[in-house]
Amino acid sequence: MIQLFNVGKIYQNGAPALHDISMKIPDGDFVYVTGSSGAGKSTLLRLLYCAEKPSRGQILMGERNTTRLRGRNVSYLRRDIGFVFQDFKLLNSRTVFENVALPLQVQGLSRHEISTRVYQMLQYVGLEYKLQRKPLELSGGEQQRVAIARAMIVNPRLLLADEPTGNLDHELAVEIMEMFTRINETGTTVLIATHDKEMLELFPHRTVILHAGNIVSDITPEGVAPRTEQEEN
Amino acid sequence: MERLRYFIQRTIFSMKQSPLLCSATIGTVAIALMLLSFFTLIVLNVQNLTKQWSRDIQVVVYLDQVPSQNALEQWLEEIGTYPEVEQVTYVSQHEAFERFRERLGQNKDLLDGLMPEILPAALEIGLKENARSREGTESLISLLKSNEAFHNFRYGQEWLDRYDAFIFLLQLTGTLAGGFLIFATLFIISNTIKLTIYARRDELEIMGLIGATPMFIKAPFMAEGAFQGTIGAILALGGCHMLYYFFLKKGLAALLTTAAAENVHFLPVSVQGGVVLTGLLLGFIGSLLPLRKFVRI
Repeated sequence: MIQLFNVGKIYQNGAPALHDISMKIPDGDFVYVTGSSGAGKSTLLRLLYCAEKPSRGQILMGERNTTRLRGRNVSYLRRDIGFVFQDFKLLNSRTVFENVALPLQVQGLSRHEISTRVYQMLQYVGLEYKLQRKPLELSGGEQQRVAIARAMIVNPRLLLADEPTGNLDHELAVEIMEMFTRINETGTTVLIATHDKEMLELFPHRTVILHAGNIVSDITPEGVAPRTEQEEN
Repeated sequence: MERLRYFIQRTIFSMKQSPLLCSATIGTVAIALMLLSFFTLIVLNVQNLTKQWSRDIQVVVYLDQVPSQNALEQWLEEIGTYPEVEQVTYVSQHEAFERFRERLGQNKDLLDGLMPEILPAALEIGLKENARSREGTESLISLLKSNEAFHNFRYGQEWLDRYDAFIFLLQLTGTLAGGFLIFATLFIISNTIKLTIYARRDELEIMGLIGATPMFIKAPFMAEGAFQGTIGAILALGGCHMLYYFFLKKGLAALLTTAAAENVHFLPVSVQGGVVLTGLLLGFIGSLLPLRKFVRI
């Protein structure tokens, strides 16, 4: 369960990015965070993976208060989170295999275990026959599948994706969204920041709409608003 | 073990991946340390040379009267026990006269007709190495003054003052210039490595995102810096040895005498080890400084 309590973020230049955000994301949920550019989608994601600290409020992931984490504890938290970005963030000097293996090497797993798990994961995303290729030799869709494989190799509890279909054409975007749906069905919580309305309609899930750093809407496909902290109390 | 293998692989791969930057770092370390080593070589040799000069520092006590054999033996024994004294020699009037005659060389016939008794007998007192300074000399003279027969001393006061000033200047210049060179080297290396790290900042960001601890991210860069620093230091010693051999040894031999050139020595093994260790540390610290800025989790 991810819980945000009155979270606000003001950048050092004084620009406010988020105001008083409170929400709960139960384990295994699939949530879109949407809104226009500058609404605070990426900031919200950055707060969740501790790239930024909130100016106020608290964020709980499971039983960990992430606002109090520092240094290596942030690293350990991130090992439970998978990341997928619009620009893929792959290491272009390394092969597909090495890119996907990286999170396991960080955790100090044996070479045999790394090889087995990477091969299985590349089979899962359909890229096992391109494991020795470099990312720039692949199409945009394939690069995003490598990024997803890298994110999923550690069996994360949470998958964060920032505009994952932003650089892809419609067919590839659908393919990637189907992959996220399959991942969510295995129990992983998926949180996607996107403004791709077509995908929101094709793959309907709970949608949080941000505007100027505030939540203006939080509804499920059935049109029901998730219960807030205040309502539960 | 897997992590160690990973660090070694990454270090080697990274250097292969950007040979130009790697060469630039090694080259920078080599040139900077060659300057430092050559400077150290000069300072050590000048110090060595001045040590040889300092052997000439001695106190001469001129005696008003020729001492009796008993008194002389007693003085020699007593003076020999003073902590500053390395050796003490009695120079009789005849010996002094003969020395004077030798020094006059072609003009020695000027002394014809003169008696040796015109020159006083003397005690020549050589000092131990740690007492070859103004303080050491003055301390010895204060001890000698306790004997009333000793009141006429010569110890090259002006020369000693200049020698002390020269040694002080040499040590000060060595410390200041050496310290400045080390900082300049660290600054240059740090900036060169910063370029390498800047070129790979995406990698640092991605490593941080996938849960690598700051130490895991930094370790291959620091190992790379230390390795490049060590290679640079070894090259610097090689370059310095070439300068020493062709410029100092052969150059001095041609300019002065072969004997003068033979008193010039290359850096002792301990200093060579120090240069390699300095290279290693400079590479290590030079990597650590920019990494602190770029690796923030």
